[in-house]
Amino acid sequence: MRDTAPPWARPLAALAVGAFFFVPLYVGVINTFKSPDQIRTDPIGAPHPFTLRNLSTLLTRPDNLYWASVTNSILVTGLSVMVLTVLSATLGHYLARSPSRWGRGLMLLLLCGLMIPPQVILAPVTYVLRAVGLMGTLPGLVLFNVGYYVPFGVFVFTGFMRSVPRDLEEAAAIDGATRGQIFWRIVFPLLRPATASVLIFLGVWIWNDFIDPLIILGPSQGTTITTGIFRSVGVWRTDYGTIFSLMFMGTIPVLVFYLFLQKHFVKGLTGGATKG
Amino acid sequence: MVSDVATRPRAPRAAGRTRHRRSRGVWPRVWHFLSFGAPGVLIYVCFVLVPIAVSFGYSLTNYNPFNPPTRFVGLRNYQLMLQDDAFLTSLRITTILTAIVVIVPNVLGLGIAVLLDRRGWLYNALRGVFFTPMVLSSVVISVIWTRMLQDDGPVNQVLRALGVQDPPGWLSDPDIALYSLATVLCWQMLGFCVVIYLAGLSGVPKELMEAAAIDGAGPVRRFWRVTWPMLAPALTVNTVVLLISAFKIFDHVQVMTQGGPGTGSTATIAFLAIQTAFVDNHQGYASAEAVAMLVVIAALTAVSLAVLRRREIDQ
Amino acid sequence: MRRILVLGTALTVAGGLSACSVGDQTGGGGQSGGSGASGSKEITFLVFETDNLTPKFWDDNIARVSKKVGVTVKKIVAPGDRTAYAKQLLASGQFPDVQIGLQDLPSFDNGGNLATFGDSELSQFLCPKCSAIKGRTVQLPANTQTWQVFYRKSLFQKAGISAPPKTYAELLADAAALKGKGIQPFVIGGNPSWGSSLPWTGTLTTDLYAADPEWMHQRREGSTKFDSPEFLKATQKFADLAAKGYLNKKDLGQSYDASQAAFLDGKGAMYPMGSWFAAASDASKAKDDIGIFAWPADDGSFHLPSFTGGGLSVNAKSPNVDLAKKFALAWQTDKDYLDTSAVADALFPAIKGYTLPAKDGTVFKAVYDLYREAVDQKATVPAFGWEQGDDGMIAGMPDKWNLTAQDIITGKKTPKQAAGYLDTEWDKSS
Repeated sequence: MRDTAPPWARPLAALAVGAFFFVPLYVGVINTFKSPDQIRTDPIGAPHPFTLRNLSTLLTRPDNLYWASVTNSILVTGLSVMVLTVLSATLGHYLARSPSRWGRGLMLLLLCGLMIPPQVILAPVTYVLRAVGLMGTLPGLVLFNVGYYVPFGVFVFTGFMRSVPRDLEEAAAIDGATRGQIFWRIVFPLLRPATASVLIFLGVWIWNDFIDPLIILGPSQGTTITTGIFRSVGVWRTDYGTIFSLMFMGTIPVLVFYLFLQKHFVKGLTGGATKG
Repeated sequence: MVSDVATRPRAPRAAGRTRHRRSRGVWPRVWHFLSFGAPGVLIYVCFVLVPIAVSFGYSLTNYNPFNPPTRFVGLRNYQLMLQDDAFLTSLRITTILTAIVVIVPNVLGLGIAVLLDRRGWLYNALRGVFFTPMVLSSVVISVIWTRMLQDDGPVNQVLRALGVQDPPGWLSDPDIALYSLATVLCWQMLGFCVVIYLAGLSGVPKELMEAAAIDGAGPVRRFWRVTWPMLAPALTVNTVVLLISAFKIFDHVQVMTQGGPGTGSTATIAFLAIQTAFVDNHQGYASAEAVAMLVVIAALTAVSLAVLRRREIDQ
Repeated sequence: MRRILVLGTALTVAGGLSACSVGDQTGGGGQSGGSGASGSKEITFLVFETDNLTPKFWDDNIARVSKKVGVTVKKIVAPGDRTAYAKQLLASGQFPDVQIGLQDLPSFDNGGNLATFGDSELSQFLCPKCSAIKGRTVQLPANTQTWQVFYRKSLFQKAGISAPPKTYAELLADAAALKGKGIQPFVIGGNPSWGSSLPWTGTLTTDLYAADPEWMHQRREGSTKFDSPEFLKATQKFADLAAKGYLNKKDLGQSYDASQAAFLDGKGAMYPMGSWFAAASDASKAKDDIGIFAWPADDGSFHLPSFTGGGLSVNAKSPNVDLAKKFALAWQTDKDYLDTSAVADALFPAIKGYTLPAKDGTVFKAVYDLYREAVDQKATVPAFGWEQGDDGMIAGMPDKWNLTAQDIITGKKTPKQAAGYLDTEWDKSS
């Protein structure tokens, strides 16, 4: 941008780039409201006629594809995130308050977990889950999610814990409060921004997870939203009406969740970036 | 977040406290660990560390659950891997993909962040557009893009309308499919880079820019002299995150190309490892592929962190 | 702290509970899902949905047959390719009790995962040992399928072709004429990958199997190789079709249903496909415009690839293996199922004493007549890439063969390179 550029240059350029970038999102949304035939022949045009048939068909399917998938996704995401918040907050607190060599070693071990791709461990994870009889079950998937994402939670909480003054805890200890009481009544409420970060990141990630539910959940418990979409894509039968309406309805919950906590999302992302 | 300085003066007292507690015996500390640390650590160990150890162990065997007996074969799987076309191709493909995905969103993201670094409803709305792919599932993104890139999809419809006789087979031509995949990834990751760079830009002090302007520096010069050095941490974060995400790409391959067309034209390492483990059932060999993937990703992360951090310190 | 303990206890208890309930029924490794405590037996059944085989088709048949057998059946629909998905379930310890139409059977049979059907159980089947593995029948040889070329009469006329080709030279001439008129000669598919190899099945029928129906047995023994003159000749023919543009490379981006729609919409003149396509043809507006012919040989001799098998198979490690077998046999011999599958998917049941329902589908009748003609003339040969068990490729190879077909079409591999690659992969897997 030169100083000499006309004032409308920047908004116009921004708008053009944004519009170009927007095309796939537009395709994703607009096709929800078209007849399957029109999706096939005219994926980019305006709906003609505009129809809610795809959505109503999806919501009233006899096999309950949407309701079953969304229930599974909510259960898995909700349970995983809840357990993760509790466990990583306590573990984060433990590590932040145990400045011994053992604590640092443990922290390092956890941090290594941040970059491990799930594909590396997925096959052995199925053996572990089979050994405890949890393969193909929701608790099994939740447990794996907890193990896999706990480093991230700990990372966020430990970082934040530094801003929580110790004096409070010590004062409460003198008053005779137990460690558990101190943590849950005094420290945890102060960690709200970190909790928000953990909730939103892990919520979005786990909701959108694909390979783990595909393999761990298997077929016996039905599908999550992502594996449900994958199933509808099928190679034999491309049911465009179902696919687009399922993508639309499956994204709405996570999008609402995101808009709700958007401020924390961006803040969480940028915390590390600006501080370095 | 409160800076580190706030906690520093308290350090001696903390040390004193530790000593005090040690005098009360080891049990309170053990109890502290059991109640606060152990549950998370236990699950982490069970579902991450043990599986990694198992993976490594199996990579030294010919384990195939349906073709017993399992024998210890030493490093043979690793030797085989170095002569295995499928593995070497996947390594090459993943490297190309990673290179594109690290460079393109970084460059475009910076440009767009500079463009959007203004206040107002238009810029807010546009930021929303760029951020949205971050909350979409890779499966959703892959499905939409597959529809975009099919021969009867919007992209080729537009090209035909513009008079292109024979538009490319974006997903069916083995020479192009990989780049189509890379485009989708770049689109998905762009928003992330924009957020990070925008945050970096907001940290550039106004006074510095004004001072540079008074010194007669033009906008381009101001950018390179003042803004760019301040963006070093943002560059680090973007590069490392893009590197890790690109190197383990699986979902898009599974949904869009299944590794094809043909043998392995888009089969990334992650895809190959999953295929080998869950379709070919060569769990031993698949474990070796997985371990190799882990080593490469760890090395890449370490090297890029080291290089980029040095640059940050040099500033 | 107390909360964590409670949580930990809850998790442990939850884990323990589900461990027990699953442990009760898995035994061998086939996980049957939660079947409740009431003692009503549940078996899981892996199926796949197509335009022909709709959810209703499965639900109706499952409801009827399971009632007859007295068992609860849980339907599992395969996402993507059913064989690949079944392998994934097997590898992760969730192999269903019953599966339909698995391909690459040796991959599943390794490690004894498929139950053997005894002679007495197979008394109603026309060819009890079809697609057996080392003499053991692990997949019910329930129906016969054939492979031929479907063509659009109107497009042939447009190109000035009066009759379907009788010799390979005529086929090439017709393809050239079609292309000259701007009509795409062949429609193929890309996903699943076997959609791309069907013309190769054609050339291998006339140039390899017609002369030597035992070729695959020799390859299994190692007395011949892919890199052999007869295999290379057939492969070169296939490669030439692609090189001349008679096969469209862009079709590799097409799913099965998209390629079917393309042919029915008249976007190509010829469609090499299995007999099951007759059902979709008869259901389409284009049915009177669709004819069929067998893939022509150089000398005009008649050979028809056919395959008998593809029925239900049973998880040998299922805790309910006997019940699962009972269900599988009841399914395959259920007259209503056979009728509906013949109508919906144009399968020819290979069951003794069964006659096809009177049905006025013109394409279906043509396909069936061609098959009867081939049987009468003893002109049936194995269908390359579709054979099973001892007659087919070893574990894992069919998929590699299909993908190699795509490499040939895109020009990534020459026939010689393709043959070399297949030999290498074969030796690696064996």
